[in-house]
Amino acid sequence: MTGRARARARGRPRGQETAVPPVGAASVLCHSYSFPIFKTTEFQISAGFQEMSLGDRGGRRRDFHDLGVNTRQAIEHVRESKTGSSGIMIRLSTNYFRLTSRPQWVLYQYHVDYNPQMEARRLRSALLFQHEELIGRTHAFDGTILFLPKKLGNKVTEVFSRTRNGEDVKITVTLTNELPPTSPTCLQFYNIIFRRLLKMMNLQQIGRNYYNPSDPVSIPNHRLMVWPGFTTSILQYEKSIMLCTDVSHKVLRSETVLDFMYSLYNQVEEQRFRDVCTKELIGLIVLTKYNNKTYRVDDIDWDANPKCTFIKADGSEISYIDYYKMQYNQEITDLNQPVLVSQPRRRRGSIMPGPAVLIPELCYLTGLTEKMRNDFNMMKDLSIHTRLTPEQRQREVGRLIDYIQKDDSVQRELRDWGLSFDSNLLSFTGRVVQAEKIQQGGRAFDYNPHFADWSKETRGAPLINAKPLDNWLLIYTRRNYDVANALLQNLFKVTPSMGIRMNKAIMIEVDDRTEAYLRVLQQNVTSDTNIVVCVLSSSRKDKYDAIKKYLCTDCPIPSQCVIARTLSKPQTIMAIATKIALQMNCKMGGELWTVDIPLKQLMVVGIDCYHDTVSGKRSIAGFVASLNQGMTRWFSRCVLQDRGQELVDGLKACLQTALRDWFKWNKFLPSRVMVYRDGVGDGQLKTLVNYEVPQLLDCLKSVGKDYNPRLSVIVVKKRVNTRFFAQSGGRPQNPPPGTVVDIEVTRPEWYDFFIVSQAVKSGSVAPTHYNVVYDSSGLKPDHVQRLTYKLCHMYYNWSGVIRVPAPCQYAHKLAFLVGESIHKEPNLSLSDRLYYL
Amino acid sequence: MDKNVQERFTGVIKFTPPLYKQRYQFIKDLVGKYKPKKVADLGCADCTLLWMLKFCSCIEVLAGLDICENVMKEKMHRLSPLPGDYLQPAERSLTVTLHHGSVAHKDPCMLGFDLITCIELIEHLEESELEKFPEVVFGFMAPTMVVISTPNSEFNPLLPGVTFFRHPDHKFEWNRAEFQSWALSIARCYDYSVEFTGVGPPPTGMEDVGFCTQIGVFVRKYSQTSETAHFEKPTKAAYKTVFKAVYPSLKDEKYLQNAVVSEVVFTAQVIKRSLLDHLKSEHEEYNDSPVEIKSKFQHSKNCVSEDLEKLAVERSMEPFVNGNVVYIPLTKIFSFSKVNQLCGTFEKLRKLITGKVTLSSDGSAVMVSTEHENEEEEN
Repeated sequence: MTGRARARARGRPRGQETAVPPVGAASVLCHSYSFPIFKTTEFQISAGFQEMSLGDRGGRRRDFHDLGVNTRQAIEHVRESKTGSSGIMIRLSTNYFRLTSRPQWVLYQYHVDYNPQMEARRLRSALLFQHEELIGRTHAFDGTILFLPKKLGNKVTEVFSRTRNGEDVKITVTLTNELPPTSPTCLQFYNIIFRRLLKMMNLQQIGRNYYNPSDPVSIPNHRLMVWPGFTTSILQYEKSIMLCTDVSHKVLRSETVLDFMYSLYNQVEEQRFRDVCTKELIGLIVLTKYNNKTYRVDDIDWDANPKCTFIKADGSEISYIDYYKMQYNQEITDLNQPVLVSQPRRRRGSIMPGPAVLIPELCYLTGLTEKMRNDFNMMKDLSIHTRLTPEQRQREVGRLIDYIQKDDSVQRELRDWGLSFDSNLLSFTGRVVQAEKIQQGGRAFDYNPHFADWSKETRGAPLINAKPLDNWLLIYTRRNYDVANALLQNLFKVTPSMGIRMNKAIMIEVDDRTEAYLRVLQQNVTSDTNIVVCVLSSSRKDKYDAIKKYLCTDCPIPSQCVIARTLSKPQTIMAIATKIALQMNCKMGGELWTVDIPLKQLMVVGIDCYHDTVSGKRSIAGFVASLNQGMTRWFSRCVLQDRGQELVDGLKACLQTALRDWFKWNKFLPSRVMVYRDGVGDGQLKTLVNYEVPQLLDCLKSVGKDYNPRLSVIVVKKRVNTRFFAQSGGRPQNPPPGTVVDIEVTRPEWYDFFIVSQAVKSGSVAPTHYNVVYDSSGLKPDHVQRLTYKLCHMYYNWSGVIRVPAPCQYAHKLAFLVGESIHKEPNLSLSDRLYYL
Repeated sequence: MDKNVQERFTGVIKFTPPLYKQRYQFIKDLVGKYKPKKVADLGCADCTLLWMLKFCSCIEVLAGLDICENVMKEKMHRLSPLPGDYLQPAERSLTVTLHHGSVAHKDPCMLGFDLITCIELIEHLEESELEKFPEVVFGFMAPTMVVISTPNSEFNPLLPGVTFFRHPDHKFEWNRAEFQSWALSIARCYDYSVEFTGVGPPPTGMEDVGFCTQIGVFVRKYSQTSETAHFEKPTKAAYKTVFKAVYPSLKDEKYLQNAVVSEVVFTAQVIKRSLLDHLKSEHEEYNDSPVEIKSKFQHSKNCVSEDLEKLAVERSMEPFVNGNVVYIPLTKIFSFSKVNQLCGTFEKLRKLITGKVTLSSDGSAVMVSTEHENEEEEN
């Protein structure tokens, strides 16, 4: 293929006068899309990624669906049944379609050998398909393994082909397997065939999903373009093989990386430009103009430019300008732009290809930067297009199936293989478990379970544990004196009913500079200070970071930052002061509300990861463990993963300290430990099960000889493509909070279930997937489901039910604060408070 | 021929870049030189040449024809527009079509081309097909230019392992004399001129065998008006269309409108932001240094009437704020080079954005709201 120039530049690129660090082993390379999964045999599929680190979510991804991780069989009490029982029945449908094959369907797998050996995959297929009369029109071939819907006459078939050079080649086609429809190899085969179908329907592949470019939505305010599309996968679910498909939106940007660099250059000072630019771009996915490939930006080489040269595969040297001109007729106009460097994610055979060098002018940005995500207006404009109601979503999903049923060539391909798809969404019955009563100040509160929010009901009720504000600082700039004062007055109004005793704050005016803030803190914070409140004049991150870093590490005191603008509206300030008062109380170690937790001597642990893309791909894990029966007090620590170190080493240390603290609080050790593990990427389950779980068990064992608590490890996944629609009143609607699904769309080899715990105001609600990968608790599935749902009520920064168990959300918050702002381990003296909330 | 020399070469003949790439490059160079708008590749196989040609910005119509549908289909999707083509539609229009059929059949879809290439095609034709080939390509399709390449059998002794033909499917391989006499007779018959060249030069000392691939470049001698082209030609289709891709182009009103609206809205946002920032910084100066402001006031007091007049004149061009709305005159937006290039004329700009962008009542300015973002952040 001419479009594939793989070459390694040697040493320093030419066209540079000064001695600067080299582009290194720079190479321009474009992977051709082949059948990557075919390269491994059925047995290797599950064993191919042992040494993968759990640290980075991006990792090498071979097995997105974690096939071959069979955890259920080891959990004795759920082998027969993993379904719960409580709640009322609800009729649900979901975005799954059954794949059916004709009776006695078999896929024939052949091994194809060449004598003499032929290396190139394309040559191998060309030689084989000289015998179409033998093979037939319908086939899938990756160069070695051939799949056919039919059985050849003989087990071993020999044919001869001739190459262009006149060389005769003997081709031996040997039948190696007759695969039943449910074989894992068949699943991969279905997915490959399905991708073929999507291509036939003229959908464009970007990354893992397929998009329809002919009907884009453009958002010119922000130079964004949204392509509607689909994410699809075919897997073996509880009872049948199904296609799961969901609407996906690809956000593309109609500006090149070079455009972006220019507009950034105009916004920041010259000397900061490179830093800011690096920070903004690294980790982003770019799309090249000239071919349909996406790359992750790993580095920017400021010393290189398009005039630099590299060595092509044939040994000749060529500059980037000439290469792109010759190969793709792409003119590079800016000859002084730096180049982007992308490290390859995947090995090609045994060799790791060198990094790809990309020209900013020829790359489009895709997706959103962190800055854009924080841009309220942009997200609002975007959500108009991307947030679909259940009705819209169901219609769009149905449209894909319609395409499939109506397109002739798609139907023919399916028919040739003997496959077909159901035309209706899968429907079944789920359960809605009972709403939880909120207990606060000696009273139990009911609320509308459909809204899953009790902020109104509990307003004015005393807190379980209110921490006094005897000695606290309120820091503000001169311009914000009025809002700071307004905050103080409103806190005086709202705190008494909560039971918070409050003295007037020590009011300190400060210059709006980072150093000034730090000086004020150094001079005024004492060991008696309860909390420091800062009214910040803007959402600029540097001041926030500096304050948090100082007060979390050097001088461990809880702190609360508020942006002045938030307080500027008189009509909302009271509500905001209420929220701030609750938040401050939690940060000081107070407790707000609880729900009934019947299980005794239980320690619940939440773990989540933050992946620092900027400072050298360091990962941070937040670890949060409950300290009391009501799940109102938590022990919080985090792990900063150093290079070459596994997160789990740090997690073990965390667990040990958590158990020690639990003992201090309760005078005994928990008899059950339940770990909710979030932040596990697609394809990392195997590593988690084989490496992390045994380490946690080891850690529990090491506590004491007679100590043998029951352990459950539950993997929590928020990003799932599964959606449920409640069919009531003739229109698809979001299922109510508390909906549990543990049949049909779960996986037979796992002890897993879905819970819709939160309510959403707009769009379709996303269920959370829970996978119990280890469980010696002996608890009934129903109890695990109920407990999980209860824990979703315990996040103190939101008077309502959230998507994940509270400890996961706390762990997320902690890891985020450390990863974004503090960059080192917070002082351990804070670990018994939710200081990061 | 010196036998020793020949023996020395039989083992080492290797072309860099490979010969097939050299053939494609030959076509690319030709396209670069003559800038044809409509190009067809007969016997396009896996569409590699078409794929290379789609990057040539002069080409507006690309067509491929092959007798084998499967080989075309295998890689045809790389002829589809790329995401980037949609993100920034090109000025030129481009349509790529693939047909399944034989060069022995006439189909009107192959009429009116500027260049038709037949790379390593004729040697695969059966005798009956080869007989019809000249009439179909030169008589019926009658493009401005035809390029035919085929192996030069005189070179075969230098190729390792080639005993008879270079490929088992070849029906014949001609020497230079055979090819040239065939080509010259066609040229004579259909009023074309022909020139012979090739790629894959022979090694030193063996120059007399000629190029490994021989190429005939035919140029039509008569000029053809579009009327005569379609006159008395059959209109019945003989080929089956297997693939068609229309690239987004600014020539298409829909894409042009999208591009213009996007550019106008974005430009308006940029102007609004800088205007508001400017006003804000003035406002801040106001707060911080009252002395300076005072002098400014005095200044403005003195020149108030003069300024107002000037303001009125400038208003036709300069954006201004009125209440919650920023008014940005269309003339101002039209002065931005990207908008200007896209629309060409002011009337066109007005026409394209009407109904798509909020305009002032007289249609002279784009209206943008200044509403404040209400993000809420507490930490």
